[in-house]
Amino acid sequence: MLSWIERFVSSSVGRKALMALTGLMLIGFLIAHLAGNLSLFAGDGGTAFDAYAHAISSLPILPIAEVALALLFLGHIYLAVKTTRENRRARPQGYSVTGTHGEKSFASKTMFPTGVVILAFLIKHLWDFRLQKEAFEEAPYASVQQALSDPLTASVYMLGILALGIHLSHAFGSALQSLGANHPKYTPALRAIGKVLAVALTLGFISIPIYFWLGGSSS
Amino acid sequence: MTLNLRIWRQKDSHAEGAIESYELPGVSSDMSFLEMLDILNEQLIGKGEEPVSFDHDCREGVCGSCGAMVNGQVHGPDTETTLCQLHMRRFKDGDTLQVEPWRSAAFPVLKDLVVDRSSFDRIQQAGGYVSVATGSPPDANSVPIPKDDAEAAFDYAECIGCGGCVAACPNGAAMLFTAAKVAHLKKLPQGQPERERRVLSMVDTMDKEGFGACTNHYECTAACPKGVPIDAIATMNREYLRATFFSKEGV
Repeated sequence: MLSWIERFVSSSVGRKALMALTGLMLIGFLIAHLAGNLSLFAGDGGTAFDAYAHAISSLPILPIAEVALALLFLGHIYLAVKTTRENRRARPQGYSVTGTHGEKSFASKTMFPTGVVILAFLIKHLWDFRLQKEAFEEAPYASVQQALSDPLTASVYMLGILALGIHLSHAFGSALQSLGANHPKYTPALRAIGKVLAVALTLGFISIPIYFWLGGSSS
Repeated sequence: MTLNLRIWRQKDSHAEGAIESYELPGVSSDMSFLEMLDILNEQLIGKGEEPVSFDHDCREGVCGSCGAMVNGQVHGPDTETTLCQLHMRRFKDGDTLQVEPWRSAAFPVLKDLVVDRSSFDRIQQAGGYVSVATGSPPDANSVPIPKDDAEAAFDYAECIGCGGCVAACPNGAAMLFTAAKVAHLKKLPQGQPERERRVLSMVDTMDKEGFGACTNHYECTAACPKGVPIDAIATMNREYLRATFFSKEGV
């Protein structure tokens, strides 16, 4: 029973499709997350961001959304680890000289390492603003300001966001290809949109630690 | 010209291999890469040494037998070129060429530059064909095929099974090879009856043979001596999803 599902999730093509699907959903989350975070820049001493944070934390559906989001992350990470392990096993002996015909990129070659950096950043980020929930919910804007005015924390955030940017520059176009979406009319535009999206998300997110590092609205 | 060759030498599939250096003077710029290896082998035989083993057959760039990494590049630095069609005019006097076999768990090295590519045969046997009743050939044009479809199918059918895609792929994946077969037959009416079974079975076999998974570097299509387009892999992914979710295969 249901052996076709097992076959799908254990196949290279099926796993890549799931990785693409979870990845695209995570990109969706990033867009929503950034859109909300931009209220940090309202210049009103944090009123807008505090209101946003309270609105989110009082959503009745929040626990379910959090579990779903955690599952997306865990699924994406599990598939990445499994695929990377199998891909290493597929070439037990490497080349003494590596060359290229020009297609593989820094981003495409470093999807796993950038993923690990993003995971490390994610853990730090969750520790700062989710696991110490009470402190955050009491004064959301102030706790962001306090965390990111520390140069070390701000640097860690910028590093994590840069890794995310590199990861994303390959992610969107790659995900569409893995899902079989390739059409001469749309693919060139979609790949360009993927790059623009990566740059936009990176600039959007990285502006936050830079803003607070430089003093934020208090300066 | 004189070349410094650094070639992977391995006695057999069980032996440990190593890179060995050879200085080869008197190489003509008109020679093909394989002719250059022939000259080296004549010298080695003259000295009583074991010649370098390499696969070759047509030496016209159409059979898919030859292939090696030259300075880390599949079939050497040219695009859409097999090793036999790579000419020494591409190099200059004093160049060092590092020559290695394809590296893949599914392509064990048999000797020197020769690898066992029978895993490709097994992928092909898993579904890369159409079942037709034998007998006299059908009338020409009895099955109409739009010209665009015929040409697209031919782009995929150009694959000569050299294994360069696997060698070029950082993951050692055979997706471009397998996808070329799937996409080729999907384009043609003769391929329709076994369409779902074909893609499921070929991908299964590809995975079992120990090839990696595609992470969309697109290095395979850049290295392919026949320029098999990368949309073949998207087509295979789509066909796989379609066969998994919208057919009765595997119920």
